[in-house]
Amino acid sequence: MTEANAISIQNLTKRFGHFTAVDHLSLEVPVGQVFGFLGANGSGKTTTIRMLTGSLTPSSGKAYVLGANVAKRVAEVRRRIGYMSQKFSLFEDMTVEENLRFYGGVYNLDPDEFAARREYILDMADLRGRESELTANLSVGWRQRLALGAATIHSPELLFLDEPTSGVDPLARRRFWDLLYELAKTGVTLFVTTHYMDEASHCNRLAFINSGRLVAEGTPNELRAQHNGATLEEIFTKLSTN
Amino acid sequence: MLNRILAITGKEFLHLWRDPRMLAAVLLMPVLMLLLFAYAISFDIRNVPTGIVDMDNTPTSREYAQAFDASDLFNVSYRADTISGVDAVIDEGRVSIVLVIPKGFGKDLLAGLTAEVGVYVDGSEPNSGRVSRAAALALTTQYNRELAVRWADLNGVDISAVGGLEPLMRTWYNPELKSSDYLIPGLLVVIMMIVTVQQTSVSLVRERAQGTQDQITVSATRPTELLLGKLLPWSILALTEVGIITLVSKWLFNIPLRGNLFAFALGTFIFVVCGLALGMLISSFCNTLESANMMAIVVAFLPSFLLSGFVFALEQLPEWIQWLSCALPVRFMVELTRDVFLKGAGFAEVLPEMSFMLIFAVLAITLAAHFYRRRLR
Ligand SMILES: Nc1ncnc2c1ncn2[C@@H]1O[C@H](COP(=O)(O)OP(=O)(O)OP(=O)(O)O)[C@@H](O)[C@H]1O
Ligand SMILES: [Mg+2]
Repeated sequence: MTEANAISIQNLTKRFGHFTAVDHLSLEVPVGQVFGFLGANGSGKTTTIRMLTGSLTPSSGKAYVLGANVAKRVAEVRRRIGYMSQKFSLFEDMTVEENLRFYGGVYNLDPDEFAARREYILDMADLRGRESELTANLSVGWRQRLALGAATIHSPELLFLDEPTSGVDPLARRRFWDLLYELAKTGVTLFVTTHYMDEASHCNRLAFINSGRLVAEGTPNELRAQHNGATLEEIFTKLSTN
Repeated sequence: MLNRILAITGKEFLHLWRDPRMLAAVLLMPVLMLLLFAYAISFDIRNVPTGIVDMDNTPTSREYAQAFDASDLFNVSYRADTISGVDAVIDEGRVSIVLVIPKGFGKDLLAGLTAEVGVYVDGSEPNSGRVSRAAALALTTQYNRELAVRWADLNGVDISAVGGLEPLMRTWYNPELKSSDYLIPGLLVVIMMIVTVQQTSVSLVRERAQGTQDQITVSATRPTELLLGKLLPWSILALTEVGIITLVSKWLFNIPLRGNLFAFALGTFIFVVCGLALGMLISSFCNTLESANMMAIVVAFLPSFLLSGFVFALEQLPEWIQWLSCALPVRFMVELTRDVFLKGAGFAEVLPEMSFMLIFAVLAITLAAHFYRRRLR
């Protein structure tokens, strides 16, 4: 494990009773990369992320995030990572402003820091003028951008995004990914799960999992070459059906 | 730490504020229940058939009796100067309250001593007994004298000390417990239970079910901070409502608050902690709002309703239910409240109830913390 890896996991395993959701998964994610984590429904993506964020205790194996052992230094890890969960992470009965303020509060930002981050996020997510709108009334694309803002309010070094663009129209997806690239340019490592292969092809590296096991890993081009020039969709289908 | 807790507490209040139905259920229901009582009580508070036994027969005592007569709460239909006939008139149902002014009443009063009057109440008649007692107290205050009203009720004031009267062998006690003296402490407990157990368990389960709990946990907010932040609003609401109901019951219903207010406050606080812990415990078992709601009704609402004298007197329930009731804090809070409100209890008298609730709170918190930790695995 070196500091050059934002994430380093060894034989990470999670069993729910007799069912193994994540099965001896080993993976390295270099700092500063956009890393795509792919797999069919129920293949164990969310479970892996939950172990990496310390929300779930692994049955066995080790996970290092930003150089720290998650099992031992969870508080430190959490201060430095951001997480946008698969479920909707905003409060619909609260306004844009109130949501940001809430996450600023739980991340313990001081007022100056919060004010600066708030400005930045409102611009980034194009939410200026909508500060007092209820989140429930925002369109899905806007909500996702707000959720991204909330998840990055404390300027994390590593961001986990669990299917951030599900249910978002193609245009809004494009805008969302533009924001992700902006973040990546500032040096933030992104760990993204998605079911959209066009999004996957924009990642620096990809990992495919099936039934909790790693089945392929590499850059999109490497993977295509390994599979005789097949498209990512074809590779996904092939890797997920056996 | 404080920052985070406040952020969460603020958010909880926002949720409440944005959900009018919830707000109404939490804030208006207690007021509504109280008003219903007020209405029920205004029925029978007039013209209570009253007897006056004036054994003193001085200008002062006659003046005092006159105050009773003038009030339209009482309809004085029996007068005597000895106690001997009282038993019979109460038995015949001619009067349901008898005011006994003992010999020496006027002299004591003029001498600046504490004069005593006896009030015999026919407790077997629902409501009027309670009303009369309250009203007698009210009149005593109205008369603006330092009077110690001695009640010949089951709780055993030594009647023989009051002007040499012999105690009457009657049920000086309402066996159906249908009186606001008994109901309002019960109401207090029911409301506290709803606000603490039901609302906290539902709010905790909702946070988890909608996925925001994950999000908050990953922000390095410790589980304790999350819990404290989420429990704080409901504690504040529960305590505020207890305060309001206490004031209203004293002011509107003349419920005597005779005991130590601090003992009551401390008891309330411990009970609220019990309720919050129960709410936590429920939320650690339930995954959906519906199941949390159901569970809260079974564990919190029903027992507090059944054991608080709202429906049955505890003593009339089968013995096994009485034993069962000892497993929940409700019964003890009801007793504590009544002891303090009606019997003038202080810390010493309610120590057993408080200790039990404290044990319950500690146990429930330990269990809830255990199950919460287990959910992470
Ligand atoms: N707490 C749990 N208890 C039992 N089984 C679980 C639990 N969490 C997840 N699982 C199971 O583990 C498997 C992997 O789930 P996971 O949510 O990680 O999949 P995923 O790859 O994120 O799927 P999706 O693309 O649908 O989000 C699924 O079969 C799921 O039912
Ligand atoms: Mg998932």
